Amino acid sequence: MKSPGHPRADFSTVTLVEPTLEERREWEAQFEAAARRPLRTRMRYAFISTYKPVLDDTDYRSFDTMAEYRAWCEANLPSWLGYGRKV
Amino acid sequence: MGARFDYAQAEEIRDAFARQRVRYLFIGKSGAILLGFPDTTQDADVFVEKSAANGRATAAALRELGFALTEAEGAEIERGKDFIQLKNGPFDLDLIFAPDGIESFEDAWRRHVDVEGFPVCHLDDIIASKVAANRLRDRESLPRLRAFREYWLRRRS
Repeated sequence: MKSPGHPRADFSTVTLVEPTLEERREWEAQFEAAARRPLRTRMRYAFISTYKPVLDDTDYRSFDTMAEYRAWCEANLPSWLGYGRKV
Repeated sequence: MGARFDYAQAEEIRDAFARQRVRYLFIGKSGAILLGFPDTTQDADVFVEKSAANGRATAAALRELGFALTEAEGAEIERGKDFIQLKNGPFDLDLIFAPDGIESFEDAWRRHVDVEGFPVCHLDDIIASKVAANRLRDRESLPRLRAFREYWLRRRS
């Protein structure tokens, strides 16, 4: 799907799971509910803090390129964290 | 690991970055949340314009916010390494100088959305960067983000 007037939102390069009609209805209700809440409240519920192994084990990390960062994630992070590209 | 990110901390970023005249945009899921996407995340991601002056301003703003940057770390921020992960401050923050899927800061800035004074990437740019990154976690969140995009564009029209 490509958005009209904006070339950016192109989903054609990824394979996505299609939501069911029921899921879409649920999501729409969630979007409506969120829109009624002030930003401050939404943020209170949105940001969580849980320990992520390896990733949280140092105070500072930097990479010259995004490719280097992605490769580091693939090689070092547990796959269940979801930072890799493969299942 | 820093404290849970909240609205007050987002305001602190906004104000410190404004004082130092940092050119930046919220991006990633934290950006989508600012745009109204109801979901959860752990840290804030900012897309910072890559230039020596902006890098210097960013390092100064981060020190003002309480990030304990060494000289070497400050120099890396000034240089604008593509990705810098900070967990040495009051909250966790990812600095992204070259996000996947976005050609230039200037392009993203032209399309950006202001939310209560927070400069945020357009949702299509946030989605573009997730599509390009194509990590498992991105593929999981994209169907819902795509549905939110339809809702968000409808509301804006």
